[in-house]
Amino acid sequence: MSHRPTRRASRRTAAAALTAVAALTVTACAGPSVGSSGDAEEATEEAVDWSSVEPASEITWWSNHPGQSQEIEQQVIDAFEAETDISVELVTAGANYDEVAQRFQAASQTDEMPDLVIASDVWWFRYHLNDQIMPLDDVMEHLDADADDFQPALYADYEYEGQHWAVPYARSTPLFYYNKDMWTAAGLPDRGPETWAELEEWNASLSAQVPEGGSTFGLSTGPSWGAWWFENMIWAQGGAYSDGFDLTLDTEESLAGGQFLHDLFHESGVATLSADDAMADFASGLIASTIGSTGSLKGALDAASFEVGTAYLPDGPAGGGTPTGGTGVAISSSSTPEEQLAAAMFLEFLTSTENTATFSQGTGYMPVRTSAVESDTMTTIYEQTPQFRTAVDQLADKARIQDDVRVFVPGADALLNDAIEQIVIEGTDPATAFESVAPQIERAYEENVEPYL
Amino acid sequence: MEPRSPVARSIGLGNYVEWFTAPSTPTVVTATLVFTVATVGGAMFLGLGLALLLDRRLVGRGFARTVAFAPYVLSGFAVGILWLFMFDPRYGLVQELLGFVGVASPQWYTQRPWPLVMVIVVYLWKNLGYVALIYLAGLQAVPKDLKDAAALDGASSARTLRSIVLPLLTPTTFFLLVTMLLSSLQSFDIIKAMTQGGPLGSTTTLMYSIYEESFVNGRAGYASAVATVLFLVLLVVTAVQMRFVQRKVHYS
Repeated sequence: MSHRPTRRASRRTAAAALTAVAALTVTACAGPSVGSSGDAEEATEEAVDWSSVEPASEITWWSNHPGQSQEIEQQVIDAFEAETDISVELVTAGANYDEVAQRFQAASQTDEMPDLVIASDVWWFRYHLNDQIMPLDDVMEHLDADADDFQPALYADYEYEGQHWAVPYARSTPLFYYNKDMWTAAGLPDRGPETWAELEEWNASLSAQVPEGGSTFGLSTGPSWGAWWFENMIWAQGGAYSDGFDLTLDTEESLAGGQFLHDLFHESGVATLSADDAMADFASGLIASTIGSTGSLKGALDAASFEVGTAYLPDGPAGGGTPTGGTGVAISSSSTPEEQLAAAMFLEFLTSTENTATFSQGTGYMPVRTSAVESDTMTTIYEQTPQFRTAVDQLADKARIQDDVRVFVPGADALLNDAIEQIVIEGTDPATAFESVAPQIERAYEENVEPYL
Repeated sequence: MEPRSPVARSIGLGNYVEWFTAPSTPTVVTATLVFTVATVGGAMFLGLGLALLLDRRLVGRGFARTVAFAPYVLSGFAVGILWLFMFDPRYGLVQELLGFVGVASPQWYTQRPWPLVMVIVVYLWKNLGYVALIYLAGLQAVPKDLKDAAALDGASSARTLRSIVLPLLTPTTFFLLVTMLLSSLQSFDIIKAMTQGGPLGSTTTLMYSIYEESFVNGRAGYASAVATVLFLVLLVVTAVQMRFVQRKVHYS
C-alpha cells in the first residue's frame, strides 16, 4: 500500500472541518489538520487474507438509481439475497451523482457510512484521495470475478497506481439523438450527421420541421453534464482541456473548440439552449435533435411519440471521439473486512453477465461485460431496438479517455461547465471564458491533487 | 471532496487576501445584497400589509391566517422544487398566467437576472406568513383606547396607521428586521433546490459560496475563511441594528 502518513493523519478532521465551517472559527490555513494515527480501524486497510474472512450478513448500498433503476436494483438485490442470504439495504442517497458524493463525504468518520457507494467518473478519484474507498483487485481475484471480462475501456477508467478503485456499473457515452419523423419530412437520410458541418447543412431543411420556438439542435448545460459533451466538440477541433494535468485551454485548437460552440448557438443558429432538460424538449418534439446520455435512452423511447434515432456524436475537422461516463460502484475503506467481502460478492453479482444485460435492457446504459454484449439477451434486444446497439458500437469505435483535469481535479468539472455556460448563455468570447476559470482549476490542482501524486 | 483539505499548510491570511481580490467576489456580494434587501424589505412590507388585512373582521379569518402561515412550515427544498415546476418557461403555471395578460415568460432558469428574481419570489412566498403572524400579534397589542382617541380627534385611518399603529409596532419591526436579516443571509435550501447558485454564479450568495467551496471544490480552509467573513458581516449588521436602529424603537 502506498498511502502516505499525511493522509492518514488527517482522517479525523472531517468533523473538525465541519465545525470550522459551521462555527466560523477564524482559521487561516489551507486546511485544518488534527493529528492522530494508529487507530485500530486502520488495520483494515492492510492487506487482508480474504480466504479467512466470513462475509457479513447485512450490508448497505448508497445509490441514486441511475436511469430510474430503483426497481431493477431491488430485483437484483432480492435475487442476491435468495442466493447468498446476505441482505443489502438499498438507500436513495441523492438524486444524482453529485448529491450521493456529497453525502458520502459528509458521512465520513460517522457510523452512517455505507459499504457500497455510487462512484461516478468525476468523483471516484476524490473518494480515493480521501482514503474513503478500497482497491478491489485482491478481493475480486479472491472471488474469481473475472475482471478481464469487463469492457476494457470501462474498467480502465477506475485504475490508478496499478489498482482498480471501482467496478463499472451504469456506464454511458453521450449519443446523438434525432427525431426520425422530422428527418424523413425534411428528406434527409436516416442517420445522424457524420460531421458537425453536415448538421449545419441540414439546418435549413430541419428548421422548417420544428414548431415555433424550436430548433434543429438543442442542448442543456449544468454540472456533471456540460463539460462532458463539450469534450467531443473540443476534441473535434484538435483541442483538449488538458494534457495530463497541464491545462491546454489556451491553445489555438482548444479556442477553436470554444469558438465552434459559440457559433453553434450564436452564429449559425443551429442550436438553442434548453431551459432545463434538453431531453424533455426533444421528447416533446420541440427540438429535432440533441445530445443525451445513453442512460436516457429507455426514457426517451418511452416518452417520445415519434421514432427516436440514435447515432454517433458528429466529428469535426480533427476527427472527434466520445467520452465515456456514468458511474461505477466502490467499496468503503471504513467497513469491516466481513462487510467488504460481502460487498465485493454483491458487486460481482450486480455486474454479472446476466445482471448487467438486464440492467442495460431496463435503462439503456451499456452492458459492462464483453460477454454480456454478445449474450442472447442483448442480441435479442439489439434486434428489437437497434438504438441500444449504437452506444456499444460507439464505445468500440470512438471512445477516448477523458481529459485528466475534468475527472481528477476536484471542482474542475463545475468550473469548465461555468466557462461553457458563459459561451452558450452570454455569448462570451471563448478566450475570455476559458481564462476566467483556468486559474481556479490550476489552484484546485495545486491544493487538492498535486500534494498526493 | 470531503469538507477538508487533507494536508494543512499555514498560509497566514492568504485565504482572506484571496477572497477580497477574487474576481467572483463582487458578483457574490452583489447577489447577496440584492437577495437580502429584496427578501427582507419585501417580506416586511408585504407581511405588514397582509397582517393589516388579516387583522380585520373578515369571514374565514382563522382559515386565511392558517393558509398564510402554512408555507413557512414547509421544507424549503420541497418548496423550491415545486416552484421550479411552476416557473418552467415552457410548461409552467407562471408562464401560463403571464400568457393570459399577454406577457411572454422570461427565461427564468437561464437569463440573468431572472433566476435571482425567481429565487427571491419563492423566498418571499415562504416567509411572508411568518412576518405577517408576528405583525399580527403586534397589531393586536396596540391599545384600543389610543385608536379610539385618534378616531375622536378626527384622524383618518391612514393617519392613525402612521402616527399611532406604526410607532407602536416598532419593537415588532425591530425584532423582525434582526431575525429576517439573519435568516436571509443564511438562506440556502431554496437556492440549492432551484438554481444551485447558477447560472454563471448569478444566484450564488455568500452562504451558498461557502457550501460550494467546501463541498463541491473541497477547499475547507478557504470556505472557512468565507464563513468567517459572513460571520463578521452578521455581527456588524446586528451590532449596528442594536446600537442605532434600536434608538428609534418605542417601547410602550
